[in-house]
Amino acid sequence: MILNEYLKEEWILLNQSLKNQEEVFYKIAETAVTNEIATNINEVVEGLKRREEEGTTGFLEGFAIPHTQNEAILRPAIIIIQNKKGIEWNSLDGIPSQFFISLLIPKKEAGTTHLTLLSSLSRMLMHEDIREKLKNAGRSKEIINVLQHLNH
Amino acid sequence: MAQKIKIIAATGCPTGIAHTFMAEEALKKAAEKLGVEIKVETHGQVGVQNPLTKEDIRKADGVIIAADKDINADRFVGKPTVDVPVSKAIKDAEELIKMIIEGKARPYRIKNIQNKSMETEDLTKGSGLGRQIYKHLMNGVSHMLPFVVGGGILIASSFLFGIHSADPNHESYNRFAELLNKTGGLGFQLMVPILAAFIAESMAKRPGMVVGFIGGMIAFTGGAGFLGGIAAGFLGGGIIFLLQKIFSGLPKSLDGLKAIFLYPVLGIFLMGLIMFPLVEPMTTINEAMKSFLSDFQGSNPILLGFIVGSMCAFDMGGPVNKAAYVTGTALLAEGNYYFMAGVSAACITPPLIIAFATVFFRKYFNQSEQNAGLVNFILGSTHITEGAIPFAAKDPLVVIPILMLGSSVSAILTYLMKVQVPAPHGGFLVLPVVNGAFQWVFAILIGSLIGAFIYGIYRKRTYQE
Repeated sequence: MILNEYLKEEWILLNQSLKNQEEVFYKIAETAVTNEIATNINEVVEGLKRREEEGTTGFLEGFAIPHTQNEAILRPAIIIIQNKKGIEWNSLDGIPSQFFISLLIPKKEAGTTHLTLLSSLSRMLMHEDIREKLKNAGRSKEIINVLQHLNH
Repeated sequence: MAQKIKIIAATGCPTGIAHTFMAEEALKKAAEKLGVEIKVETHGQVGVQNPLTKEDIRKADGVIIAADKDINADRFVGKPTVDVPVSKAIKDAEELIKMIIEGKARPYRIKNIQNKSMETEDLTKGSGLGRQIYKHLMNGVSHMLPFVVGGGILIASSFLFGIHSADPNHESYNRFAELLNKTGGLGFQLMVPILAAFIAESMAKRPGMVVGFIGGMIAFTGGAGFLGGIAAGFLGGGIIFLLQKIFSGLPKSLDGLKAIFLYPVLGIFLMGLIMFPLVEPMTTINEAMKSFLSDFQGSNPILLGFIVGSMCAFDMGGPVNKAAYVTGTALLAEGNYYFMAGVSAACITPPLIIAFATVFFRKYFNQSEQNAGLVNFILGSTHITEGAIPFAAKDPLVVIPILMLGSSVSAILTYLMKVQVPAPHGGFLVLPVVNGAFQWVFAILIGSLIGAFIYGIYRKRTYQE
């Protein structure tokens, strides 16, 4: 139930051919605005860049979690992008990033439900088997199934 | 079978959304794999979760700090500790736990504050003296800001009752206005000492704060203004570093003595020894600037405007700014209303520069700066120049010249248009008695907008680096 509020099938983009970090950020922002998650592409891109500057969001085995908390964001949401090739992301283990789980959070949080969800998501990503399943997912539905674990 | 090794950990990343919990999970997984017990306290946006109790800390065989923010590490003094950035725990959690198992973790000591902050900086970004200085300045400014805002608004509010309404001897006297003015005034008096105190605190924690506070008071009472406060702050940190070095050979059992006695007493003494002589010349500088200025009284308006503008914006609260202001009020008493007009314009402009910049270039300012920027509309309009100090303090080498330029433009235009202002204070509240009110406001706006534009472009440039 809860997951469906923050992650919809249309927000999962598979098999993308993005070439660099800028394009990934732009794609995330564009998806957000098209789906009425955010009001302004540039603000979202800037927010993602700012967070990235504080410290890379690429952590292990090609996974990255670019995120931002921003006035331009209307509702908390998870946008997922699966890219065909790895993109240089300055990640902790040096491996280029291919699987992006982007967390978009509104500036004024009315509650902490989404924060708990996001922290659960982060914890999940530390598990090898979860990462394997996500990487090999062929359809958006599969990804949502894997992440259903969050709904306990 | 031997009892399991107990490890406690605290994780925290600045945004508090993801890395904090990823580190927690990584540590838990690694602990399970290596057969040790672990309890992890997380510092995320929801707050502190799973807090470590005194009992937990007492029983722990080792501590892992995986944080890029303050997680109150003083609790762990004496415990074998591994202290790393949060990303290290995500990547190499097992390695960290092994360090504790193999007894390779050293007892945690507060002594290493300076080294630790430099290490963390090195690991996350390129460090450098510039970044260090900026970090210390920022700490001072962020603590000072509420005093400026709170104090300034109260003072401005008192002016609504009349600019002399706090003066018991004046006909417009009002007790409530006096209360507002006095209370707000205290905020202003504390501004510079607080700035100095927390610049020093960023460098050397509490001992630094104490010494910096005193140094700031000396700067303030000695008329050295906020520039003197900045100097006192860095001096305070430096004095404590020096004392730490000198006493580093003392046995650990005397650590308490150092904190409660040696550092405060010697630190304050050294601060007084150095600062008092430094502020002595302030009065001389002030007198010199006054006589310098009076030489230019009758000269051409452009030159005068440039000098007055630059002086007013140079060291708000310091000897130069004061010299210009006092000259203005003295000439006012003699019936020269023209001079004061330029001084006022130059004093109103700096906060307005800040205010306009935070509005037009909003993106390049953080939330608290934006709020302070809005407040500066009120402060500027009521001739409370100090509103600009927090912004100038962050970046004096760049911001002060910009403020000087903007103020000069305002003053020059004011003099060219021969505006007359018969009041020593109050800003736009005295518009009814200004001769040439429209021109005056126009001049001030031009200067402010020019300054705001340049400041905004500068912020944009630094933001994009």
